[in-house]
Amino acid sequence: MTKALFLVLSLFAGAAVAQGTIKIGVITDRVGVSKPYAEPATEGAVFGAAEVNRRGGVLGRKVELLIEDDQSRPDISAALARKLVDQGAVFIMSISLSPATQQQQTVTMEARTPQMTPMNSADYLTTQLNNPYFWQTGPLGSTQGATLLAHARSKNFKRVALITDNSDLGSAIAKAFKGALEKAGIQIVAEEVVARGATTATPQMQKIRAANPEAMFLAGVLTAENVLIFRAYKELGVKFPIHSSYNLSVPIYETVAKGLVNGITFVDAYDPEKPEVKAFEAAYRKATGKEPQNLHGYGYDGIMLITDAIRRAGSTDKEKIREAMQKTNYAGVMGAKGMKYRFPEGKRAGFDPNGMVVRVYEKDRQGRVLHVGQK
Amino acid sequence: MQDFLELAVSATASGCVYGLIALAYLLMIRPTGIINFAVGEWAMVAAFGGHLLLSRYEWLYWLGMATVVAFMLLVGWVTERVAVRPLVDKGAALLAPILALLGVLVITREIISVSFPPDPLPVPSAFGFGRLELGPVGGSYQSFFIIAVAALVFAGFWFFFEKTLWGKSFEAVSLNRRAAALMGINLSRVTALSFAGGAGVAGLGGLLVSPNVSAHYLMGVPLAIQGFTALVIGGVGRVEGALLGGLLLAFAEQFTARYAPIPSGYTQGVPLLLLMIFLLFRPTGLLKARA
Repeated sequence: MTKALFLVLSLFAGAAVAQGTIKIGVITDRVGVSKPYAEPATEGAVFGAAEVNRRGGVLGRKVELLIEDDQSRPDISAALARKLVDQGAVFIMSISLSPATQQQQTVTMEARTPQMTPMNSADYLTTQLNNPYFWQTGPLGSTQGATLLAHARSKNFKRVALITDNSDLGSAIAKAFKGALEKAGIQIVAEEVVARGATTATPQMQKIRAANPEAMFLAGVLTAENVLIFRAYKELGVKFPIHSSYNLSVPIYETVAKGLVNGITFVDAYDPEKPEVKAFEAAYRKATGKEPQNLHGYGYDGIMLITDAIRRAGSTDKEKIREAMQKTNYAGVMGAKGMKYRFPEGKRAGFDPNGMVVRVYEKDRQGRVLHVGQK
Repeated sequence: MQDFLELAVSATASGCVYGLIALAYLLMIRPTGIINFAVGEWAMVAAFGGHLLLSRYEWLYWLGMATVVAFMLLVGWVTERVAVRPLVDKGAALLAPILALLGVLVITREIISVSFPPDPLPVPSAFGFGRLELGPVGGSYQSFFIIAVAALVFAGFWFFFEKTLWGKSFEAVSLNRRAAALMGINLSRVTALSFAGGAGVAGLGGLLVSPNVSAHYLMGVPLAIQGFTALVIGGVGRVEGALLGGLLLAFAEQFTARYAPIPSGYTQGVPLLLLMIFLLFRPTGLLKARA
């Protein structure tokens, strides 16, 4: 009897403590295809929440993250969004795959719960559904293509090759690259696909070598398949330059493709010389003892944008948070120097189209910024 | 011509890997009738073993390779004891151990997924990264290494099944389990050894291909599909069928991607097309078992 009474009292006490926090739902991917991106972004979000709490929280209350794993599966992501709404989350941050994030919108739109994704790049997320409770702050796929092309334009290429993998995102980025290249009047002399699970990219690279392009654009997002492409490139002794999607901004290439990536240029949303980045990296190292990477910055910025909106809303009322979020004007870790997240004219994609940079691999490390924006 | 020969080396190396995975299936199917789709995950486990011993702890290549293969033999033996034998002992239908092994597949992948970082991890190749030219034939060191090791393994297994009494006992079990048992052959031991051998061969395949594809937690399923396709093409009856099926599949994949006048994206359908053709018109594969 005493034990039962103690249990009941404990539950009430727990509920009282929990009521004191501001709950933010995080839907991530711990075991699926997005895990390589979602895991560091989630670590960045956890670090961001700890930083906010260290500084006194928001509206005098601590921030509590409710983290769920949707395995990048759209069929279960909506159910998790519903679970988070029912648990009292005032905002949901989505960091798995774009289709899963899209599916969550069916719940957040109906439940009028603010939702944002700090890193999904699919252009359709804010255009297919008219959901005023959803925002996207990562760079769009089209922005990546345009930024890379702006850099390539300075080289006056006439004939290029395009290579990607058969993932949804890889195909989408290749399509965006192709559109941008054709619009610029650049001829695509070879267009190749390396299938997920392939054991070599030699046939594709032979075809590209035979087409004799001036450069190769890489739109693939699967790290293992990209490494195959670099191996074939090196083994066949071809020399044309490679311009890559943002996938090469993941630092794992420094170890898994050691000796294969030097000279490759890639799009990134991270400038290591930016003051906000330097401050973030120093704080992250001090707090965790680990080396941060750009993907941590996405999750960190996501939490900072959400807590900034709640702070400006002055309340946890979801409608007030929605209004505050739409008026965001915030300089974060991601983006070129001076870039601010904004949602002008009612738009809900907040990454500045001129906020991406092009960097180059030097001595197996992600090196300096060569180009900024789309001009 | 140089392209053709270069691609032939690449396709032969890939075909040898597919052949090893097909051989792993075959070693288990022949005496037990059990299709074990976890062979891909075993290849993945060995790739991670290669990363740990060869990349992180920088063991000598041969020592690391032998240790990983020995570990995989143990993994196969334990799998048989835990997931197969209890079901067989209780007289369960053949489908029961196949489903149990699918469970092993999922559990293995999840264990690796949560135990290692999410990104692909490097595994060094036996002789480093470089290109070997043998007259007009050229390819990476690793391609030639894969071909040499696979040739030894297939020759070894051929000799085992064709020329040794132990190998004959495996054949006897595959022909008629009850008669083999009546002749004094220990069925449990043959089953346990077939799983241990299957895991060892699958692990070797994973270890050989991992310097190219890196070690990552999603690498198992494609290898399992490629190996199974090779098995269907070559036939489950003979060791050399697994190698033949692997080579045919890899040549079809890579030469279609290189020379067929169709968009690159469509060439991915070639292996599945081959699989369907063989299942429809020659379900026993190219090589039939000896009577």
